[in-house]
Amino acid sequence: MTDELQAGSAAADPPGSTGAAPAVAQPLLVVRDLVVQFALPGAFGMGRSGRVVKAVDGVSLDLARRETLGLVGESGSGKTTTGRAIVRLLDPTSGSIRFDGTEIATLKGEALRLMRPRFQMIFQDPYSSLNPRMTVGAIVGEPLEIHGMGDAAARRVRVAELLDVVGIPGQAINRYPHEFSGGQRQRIGIARALALNPDLVVADEPISALDVSIRAQILKLLERLQAELGLAYLVVAHDLAAVRRVSHRVAVMYLGRIVEIAPTASLYALPRHPYTVALLSAVPIPDPAVQRGRRRIILTGEIPNPSAPPPGCHFHTRCWLYQRLGTPERCRTEAPPLTDSAPDHRVACHFTDEVSDAGARMQSPGSG
Amino acid sequence: MTDLLTVDDLVVRFRTHDHTIHAVNGVSFAMEAGETLALVGESGCGKSVTSLAITRLLPQPAGRIEGGRIEFEGRSLLDLPADEMLSVRGPAIAMIFQDPLTSLNPVLTIGKQMTEGMREHRGMSRADAWARAAELLQMVGIGDAERRLKSYPHQMSGGMRQRVMIAMALALTPRLLIADEPTTALDVTIQAQVMDLIRDLASSTGTAVLLITHDLGVVADMTQRVCVMYAGFVVETATTDELFARPRHPYTVGLLRSISRIDADDTGELRPIEGVPPEQSRPPVGCPFAPRCAWRLPQCWTENPPLVTTGEGPVVRTGTDASHLLACHNPATPDEVAVGVPMRPGFRAAPRPTGGGTPGSRRGPGGSPGVAGRPGDSEDLRHERGLVEAAQDVGGADLIGRPLIRNIETPDPDHPERRGDQ
Repeated sequence: MTDELQAGSAAADPPGSTGAAPAVAQPLLVVRDLVVQFALPGAFGMGRSGRVVKAVDGVSLDLARRETLGLVGESGSGKTTTGRAIVRLLDPTSGSIRFDGTEIATLKGEALRLMRPRFQMIFQDPYSSLNPRMTVGAIVGEPLEIHGMGDAAARRVRVAELLDVVGIPGQAINRYPHEFSGGQRQRIGIARALALNPDLVVADEPISALDVSIRAQILKLLERLQAELGLAYLVVAHDLAAVRRVSHRVAVMYLGRIVEIAPTASLYALPRHPYTVALLSAVPIPDPAVQRGRRRIILTGEIPNPSAPPPGCHFHTRCWLYQRLGTPERCRTEAPPLTDSAPDHRVACHFTDEVSDAGARMQSPGSG
Repeated sequence: MTDLLTVDDLVVRFRTHDHTIHAVNGVSFAMEAGETLALVGESGCGKSVTSLAITRLLPQPAGRIEGGRIEFEGRSLLDLPADEMLSVRGPAIAMIFQDPLTSLNPVLTIGKQMTEGMREHRGMSRADAWARAAELLQMVGIGDAERRLKSYPHQMSGGMRQRVMIAMALALTPRLLIADEPTTALDVTIQAQVMDLIRDLASSTGTAVLLITHDLGVVADMTQRVCVMYAGFVVETATTDELFARPRHPYTVGLLRSISRIDADDTGELRPIEGVPPEQSRPPVGCPFAPRCAWRLPQCWTENPPLVTTGEGPVVRTGTDASHLLACHNPATPDEVAVGVPMRPGFRAAPRPTGGGTPGSRRGPGGSPGVAGRPGDSEDLRHERGLVEAAQDVGGADLIGRPLIRNIETPDPDHPERRGDQ
């Protein structure tokens, strides 16, 4: 790669930060109290009703270099909106997003444009996220062109390199998206996201539109790119098994709030929020010997309408623990803060100690 | 006891003026009453087309059943006149599809749609049918049934619509329920609710369930037997317990090794199946999985292995004692299943024969040979990738600009079928 193309990101790096261990360096991304609201349209979809939906309601999270944070939850939990706000495809209503020390939540215009190369996005649908009238070369080279990286010849070399890295043969450079399978298109989308040498990639459901046998190929590619390029990932997904596979830490969202965030092993082995427990127990395990012996907690009902979330803890209307504890008033009136429950393990539940017991019991199949 | 459903050597092709898609290439299986069978595979493997052929709902005029036999309770469905088929679909064989929004009529109320079948097929009065519909909605966990019966599909959430579909499908207590990816569009918590519902209702009414899915977790959770399909063939079938405990076909092994699990210790490295599924635009030659298979022998390129029993004795087609059937020249051993790759000293997958037919060539639309190209890798490329991976293992940080993975084959001018009509 040429120095010229690298300059954009290298210049912005604080000295000595490259390759530092994530634990000691300051986090790459620090999000605090992020709120994203959407105005609801008025009658017949016209004008504004004056009501708002808090799609993201006070989300705080950190992400280190070379780290992958998984963001999971049901549809309507605000996970995609969080991801899009962090890469500034949406304007946050309030809150702070510090990217490598720079506040980007309020950046606008040219200042924001100059930061954009450092955080990129991979989209869910490999069919609609590539312009069908552009060649693969033009798609992958477009970010370079927009940000004025190198001359045409240097860009061509760079595009060929990028395609090589994601496993698309160089001869494909003049072909169009429709000539590729879904998995290959997703690789092209990944090459485009890598074009500007970003520090952070937000991947929104990167494999859910792909065939089962193709998913592992893309997961492996993402893992390898992280190891080689030192990327930080925010992976937004509803597939809890795939998230376990790729993430160092996982955050669980419910109705716009993070209800639990912990290192992956800890979260999956000993979930401490009743919602996480239920979510994990709902995923069938592809092994009949294990699956048939599992105790499952089936949540009743569906995720409530985010424009009118329940008071107190948003989850109490579906919470099995709330029922088991005899519907304590506190859950209905007081929103539980996200607090440390174990080292690095933060939970927003008034009765998380009760969960730990139940969670431990759930882990041993057939014990209930 | 006669089987509830017998599908024998079913062949389905889609023909348009310049294309033929070989969707189902001789699929056979049987189900007995009350049994739960999964057809599992990726998109394009023929699992949905098989179910549409059973109900004779293939898209017309392109979709044609060009061979085989389908018998339901001793009657040949393919020979029934269209109007008699109407009395099979619904009261005898009910269906649930992936997307409940497009399967429900948007301009009729839920109540109207639910009562239609009961009045038509069971001759119930409007009031009786309405009361029964309300009862069914309660049964599938929809509260306030009276109000819901008067609402329209768009006023309900996806999970609720799917419940309505289930209630409707089971209203006439069919002998067979075909559920085509019934929970794929739903969140995992709702999936658990819907699956429990299907299981409970089916077992209480004795309805057999043909579950079509790509999700092996759902298969493990829900079914008694499995047919693994690939490119329009059944490549392996066994009871669910047997298939998960002792998979033999390299494709089944690949599927099991390439999915992540939420439980247990980390199961080591993910082993993706290389390449892409074939597009089936030409008649199959050899084993359909050969281009992606690490176990393939020379004959895999030319001879499609028959589906035969792995054990001794007569073949049992249905029930808890069903035989483990396998279509493979060179199945994986238990040790190989554990790691997901062949472990025989000196073994290399047989290279593509030169000049031979190509199973499942893929071409881009419009006749240009797409880079999607032939599924799988040439031997050279596989070798090259091995070298690159080995180099990376040694260490190599300045990665951009070096081939990391290449799973798409470079278009090869030596293969005449690749050049084609540009």
